[in-house]
Amino acid sequence: MKNSLLGFCDGCGETMRVLKKWRPLIVLLVLVSVLAGCKRKYDDLDLTMYQYRDTKNLVRFVYDASLILKKDGMESLNYFRDNRKSFNTRDYYLYVYDMKGTNIFHAGMAHLEGKYLWDVTDKNGKKPLQLAYDALEDRNNPHAWIHYSWWETGKFYPVPKASCHFKVTTPEGNELLVGGGINYPHEEKEFIRIIVDAAVQLIENEGRKALAEISNPVSKYNYRDVCVFVFRPDGEILISPTINSTLAQTDFLECADDVLHKPFAEALKKLQSADRAWEAFMTKSRYKRKLIKKSLYIRKSVLEGTEIYVAAITDLPEPPN
Amino acid sequence: MGKEDKKYEYSVNQVPPAIHLVISSMQHVLVMVVSLAFPILLAGQINGTPELTASLIAFSMIAAGIGSIIQSVGLPMIGSGYLCPNLCGPSYFSLSLSAAWAGGIPLMRGMIIVAGLVEMAIAPIIQKLKNVFPTFIVGLVMTMVGVSVIKPAITSFFGLAYSGDAIWSLDIFVGLLTLMIMVFANLWGKGFVKMYCLIIGMLSGWMLALIIIPEYRYNFYVLNDIPIFSLPAIGPEFRDITFDFKLIIPFAVIGIGSSLKSFGNLLVAQKISEPELKEPNFVPIKKGLLADGFSTVLAGLLGGMAVDTSSSNIGLAGATKVLSRWISVGAGMIFLILAFFPKFGSILSMMPRPVLGAALIFTGSFMICTGLQEMFTEKWDQRKTFVVGISLFFGLSTAFLPGLYARAPHFIQTFFTDPLPTTAVVAVVLNLVFSFDLVLGKWRDKNRNNA
Repeated sequence: MKNSLLGFCDGCGETMRVLKKWRPLIVLLVLVSVLAGCKRKYDDLDLTMYQYRDTKNLVRFVYDASLILKKDGMESLNYFRDNRKSFNTRDYYLYVYDMKGTNIFHAGMAHLEGKYLWDVTDKNGKKPLQLAYDALEDRNNPHAWIHYSWWETGKFYPVPKASCHFKVTTPEGNELLVGGGINYPHEEKEFIRIIVDAAVQLIENEGRKALAEISNPVSKYNYRDVCVFVFRPDGEILISPTINSTLAQTDFLECADDVLHKPFAEALKKLQSADRAWEAFMTKSRYKRKLIKKSLYIRKSVLEGTEIYVAAITDLPEPPN
Repeated sequence: MGKEDKKYEYSVNQVPPAIHLVISSMQHVLVMVVSLAFPILLAGQINGTPELTASLIAFSMIAAGIGSIIQSVGLPMIGSGYLCPNLCGPSYFSLSLSAAWAGGIPLMRGMIIVAGLVEMAIAPIIQKLKNVFPTFIVGLVMTMVGVSVIKPAITSFFGLAYSGDAIWSLDIFVGLLTLMIMVFANLWGKGFVKMYCLIIGMLSGWMLALIIIPEYRYNFYVLNDIPIFSLPAIGPEFRDITFDFKLIIPFAVIGIGSSLKSFGNLLVAQKISEPELKEPNFVPIKKGLLADGFSTVLAGLLGGMAVDTSSSNIGLAGATKVLSRWISVGAGMIFLILAFFPKFGSILSMMPRPVLGAALIFTGSFMICTGLQEMFTEKWDQRKTFVVGISLFFGLSTAFLPGLYARAPHFIQTFFTDPLPTTAVVAVVLNLVFSFDLVLGKWRDKNRNNA
């Protein structure tokens, strides 16, 4: 029995014996390091801004389809049609449009193929296709996300949707919009980053005129329970997060959550040394009547020479339960 | 001595040869790394900057490292002297988050200090509670220590990071294979393979995951931005310590719950380290609880998350029969050093979740069965059936029906938080109530004899 520190000095023999036993593992480690260093097809696809796998999977799913279209051109549409089930999974579905609004492939709703759908609206009056074309041109929205409401085949209630898109030029020279949707999407922080940054850009370009567009419920700035709102440092609300009038003037700085945390006061402190800030707080879940975590994204901007704040709020991911 | 009868590979006071000490310590570090998910998650939930996240991880690692050393090195007044490393306590997570929300990191630090002081105050009383914890309740508490790992173990095994997110078949394959390698190596391996079954399983599973699941390789890209060596940045969040009277009761309750968990952990550590003991020796347990409370106070002072004794590491020690306390000291030192080498710490924290889940299931199985064995060593009767049965009903319901307790009266919410403390408290109270006739009988006999 080695019962003293002398046990440390058993020497190199023991060490070599142990290392010999680990030889297969060391070889495997080297192999993995080499494999990990190889270039893969997703190396150019940055998904670090997303928190949920479902969101990442959807972007990869659409990206894969865009690579097929890029490589095999219009011929790949036959491949999509012959393998419709592979492109209409339990979680996602694929669709392809030309750049004028005509559907040329829909994995889940084949009856839409060949139809001109430029003006099609959802239950709330949103025009998903026009939003998608608009998103493709938005450099601030790298995967061209849009949010709307639709339905599932065979179901009779509206389903919240989020879709991402890529613009593809086929070898024949055709420009196509390839997209994929997910039903009941997770609320990603990136989604509110996109709309708040876009709203700031619009305000800087168009001034007060932008406020009407931002508060329009069918614009990209409003989806599901999320909306972009705008207020001045003195508390004047230009676009309210709660009601569509100036009836209630809330002093955001004094607003506290259910654990007495003041997210706006904290966020504005951060904005003293930055032009954007994230702040978390707790509030009651609309569906579960228990406290859930929310995230506030807020940016500083200027309207008619005075400082304003542009913000939106979304859910934070919950740990597994 | 037959293979099955062998008590241990290295006993509690034995110093293993250097190479075995290092590998065994690393094996324990791999299990401890699981808990680094908590500071990462907390920083994410409060929208913390990368600098805040890095500092929170570093301070938590320093506190856990020092705590592990104090717990095991064998100091005269403090520390159990068993293989019982510390890690970020999951039971503190929700409440720490609430404190961080209400008053930022300074309030979280202050309230963690309060909880640690409560744990330290409880330590001397434990010795006097000998009659409150008869063997079958000790066994029940030990079982619940294993049961409390089920939720993080299973969600990790399926690779789940967030509620409602996708589960990949490949993740399940990695988790299953990792678990099987660990179990097979433990059951049929000899010497070296048996002793390092967990590290063999974890490394094999990790490599398999890197080969077949690209996402785990992509995670490594962030390493480019992480320095090899850095001192934790003491940002504005780490310069103050504040307290809030309203949070004292919840933190005191969680401190008591944490003490009960550590009590269970230390009992298991004692059982496997000194199987010859007929009944618990409360002296090292008292010293162990004191060390646990001290580590929690230290975590608050430093700016880390509250630390706690680790059930999984004790389970690992029991499964491998490598019980040397010096391994816990080694693991603590490695953890402490890794706090200043964020790149290496980050690599370890990128271990695929299914691999971590498999490790937690492997170690948790041992905890559950050791507790059950302990529970049924006593002659069983109806009284014990109701004490254990009713306490399990209410204890496990906190895991099965968390939504129910979220709407329950405040008093119930405070005490019905987690399976382990709830079961333990209900079992102790019921045992006292159901034994009332026995106590009364003894008292009457005593009076009769006196008369």
